[in-house]
Amino acid sequence: MATTEIRFSGSGGQGLLLSARILAAALALQGRNVAQSNAYEPVSRGGLSRSDLVISEGEADFPLARRLDYLLILDLAGLGVSDHLLSPRSVVLADAELVPDPPRGDFRTLALPFAETARSLGNPRVTNIVALGTLCALSELCPPELLLERVLAMTPAKFDRLNRDAFAAGQAMAVHEPA
Amino acid sequence: MSATIRNLEGNEACALGAIRAGCRFFAGYPITPSSEVAEVMSRELPKVGGTFIQMEDEIASMGAVIGASMGGVKAMTATSGPGFSLKQENLGYACGAEIPCVIVNVMRGGPSTGMPTRPAQGDIMQARWGTHGDHAIIVLAPASVAEAYSETIRAVELSETLRVPVVVLLDEVIGHLTETVDLSAVPETPEVWRKFATGPRAGFQPYAVTEDLIPPMPRPGDGYRAHCTGLTHAPGGFPTQVPEVATAAVTRTTDKLALHRERIESWRVQDADDADLLIVAIGISARAARQAVRDLRTEGLRVGLFRPVTLWPFPEEALRDIVARSGAKAVLVPEMNQGQLVLEIERVLAGKAPALRLNRIDGQPITPDEIADRAREALK
Repeated sequence: MATTEIRFSGSGGQGLLLSARILAAALALQGRNVAQSNAYEPVSRGGLSRSDLVISEGEADFPLARRLDYLLILDLAGLGVSDHLLSPRSVVLADAELVPDPPRGDFRTLALPFAETARSLGNPRVTNIVALGTLCALSELCPPELLLERVLAMTPAKFDRLNRDAFAAGQAMAVHEPA
Repeated sequence: MSATIRNLEGNEACALGAIRAGCRFFAGYPITPSSEVAEVMSRELPKVGGTFIQMEDEIASMGAVIGASMGGVKAMTATSGPGFSLKQENLGYACGAEIPCVIVNVMRGGPSTGMPTRPAQGDIMQARWGTHGDHAIIVLAPASVAEAYSETIRAVELSETLRVPVVVLLDEVIGHLTETVDLSAVPETPEVWRKFATGPRAGFQPYAVTEDLIPPMPRPGDGYRAHCTGLTHAPGGFPTQVPEVATAAVTRTTDKLALHRERIESWRVQDADDADLLIVAIGISARAARQAVRDLRTEGLRVGLFRPVTLWPFPEEALRDIVARSGAKAVLVPEMNQGQLVLEIERVLAGKAPALRLNRIDGQPITPDEIADRAREALK
C-alpha cells in the first residue's frame, strides 16, 4: 500500500505530538486516511518524543512508519533514532541551532532556523508551529489555510496571533529553500 | 468529511464504543497507557446521565464496577498490566457470580510496573487465566481503532447477554494509535440488555439452570430475593460444597460459553486459502503481519494471515479448518512476549503443522520486515 510518512521528533514538551495531531486533523478533513502513533518517555518534559503520521488510501496495513518521506528533528534527543527509516525519498528538516549535526546521506537535508524564528517572534514555544508551516509549504500535503485553521482551533485562543505569525514565518522559510 | 468520520485514538474509541452500547458507569484508577479511556469517560458519561468515579485504587475500581452492574447498570473499567493484576481477585468474583462487566486492558511492558509507555502483548495468558480456578471469560483483541470501537460495543453486548466478564485486550500501540474511522460503519442496532428475571418471586432461583444456561438476573427493585456470593453456589444462590452440586455449578458457567461459542467467536483471514505459511497474530503484530503478507505475495510467496478477534475462547475450529484447507506447512506466530499465543496454537494444531515463533520483549513493535524475513526463511 502506498503511504506518505512523516515523523515529528525531538524532546518531550516541544509540542511534537500536538503538531502531528493538528496535521492529522487537517488531513482527515480532506478525506485522507491518517494513522498517528506516538512514543515518549514516562516524564513530563525531556527525553525522546516523537509522533508519526502514515497517510494512506483506506486503512493502512501497518500504521507505523517504515520509510519516512519527511523527518522533522527539533532536538538532539531526536537525533540518530530515525536514520534506519531514511531513504532517497526522504526530506530531513532539522533545527539549525538545536540539531547542529543532522543526518546527511542520499536524501535531502535542510537545516532551518525554527527555534530562532520562534524566539524572534517572542516565544520559543511556537517552534513547532514554525516547523509545521515549513512542512506544509514543502510537502503540499494540504492547503495551508486549512492547516492554519486547525492550528488555531486546536490551540488556546490567546496564542492565535503568535501562531499565525509562526505559521507564516515557517511557510516563508520553505519558499526561500531551493526545491 | 461526514460527521461520523473522525480521527480517533484507540482508547477514546473504547470509551465511545462502550457508551454507544449503553455503558453508563465507569470506575477506574488512571494508569498509562489506558488513562485516556478514563479521561474520555469522565467527560462523556455525565453528558448521557452516566456516572464516572475515580476510585482510590485498581481493586476498588473493579469492586465498584461489579456493584454497579449488580445494581442494574452496564459498567466498565480500564487498566494496564499492574492494575489488571490487582483486579484479578474481584474479576474472579465477577466470573463466579456471573456479573456482566467489561475490563479494558491496554498492555504495556512487564512484568510488574515494567515499561509504562512501551507496548507489549504479555498479558495474553493472564487475560485468560489471571484469576484462579476454572472460570468462563471472554477476551477480545482489536487490531485497529475502528475495531477498538466495534469490539468494545461487542464486549458490552456479549457480557450482558451471556452474563460474563469480557476483557478488551489492546496493546499500547493500538490504545494510543489515532486512525481515521467512520463510526457509522457499525450499524445501528437495538440496545442489548441482560435477561432480567420475570415471573413469580416466590421460589426464585438466581442461578437457575435454563436451556440457554444463562440465568436471568434480578433487577434491583423488582422484589426478587437473591443471594450473590463468590463461594461456589447452588442454583438457589447459597454456598454449597456438595460434590455433584459444585461440579454442576462450575460446569454450567463454562458450558455456557461452549454453547454460545458461535456468537462469541470472531476472526479474520487474509490470503489464507492457499497459504503455505499461515501467520497467526493479534493487535499491532497482526497489522505488521498484514503488511508482510501483502509484501510477500508480491514476491509470489504464498503466505496468509489468521487473526483471532476473539482471543478467548480461541476460535480453534476455524484455525484447524484453514490449516487443513490450505495445507499450510507451518504456522508463524509473531507476538510481543516470550511466546504465549503460540502455546494455544500448538494445542489447537496438535502437531498438524509446526508453530514457529517470532518474539520481541524490548518494548518495540514487531515490524513487517521482521515477519517477512522470518517467513522467507521458513519457506526456504
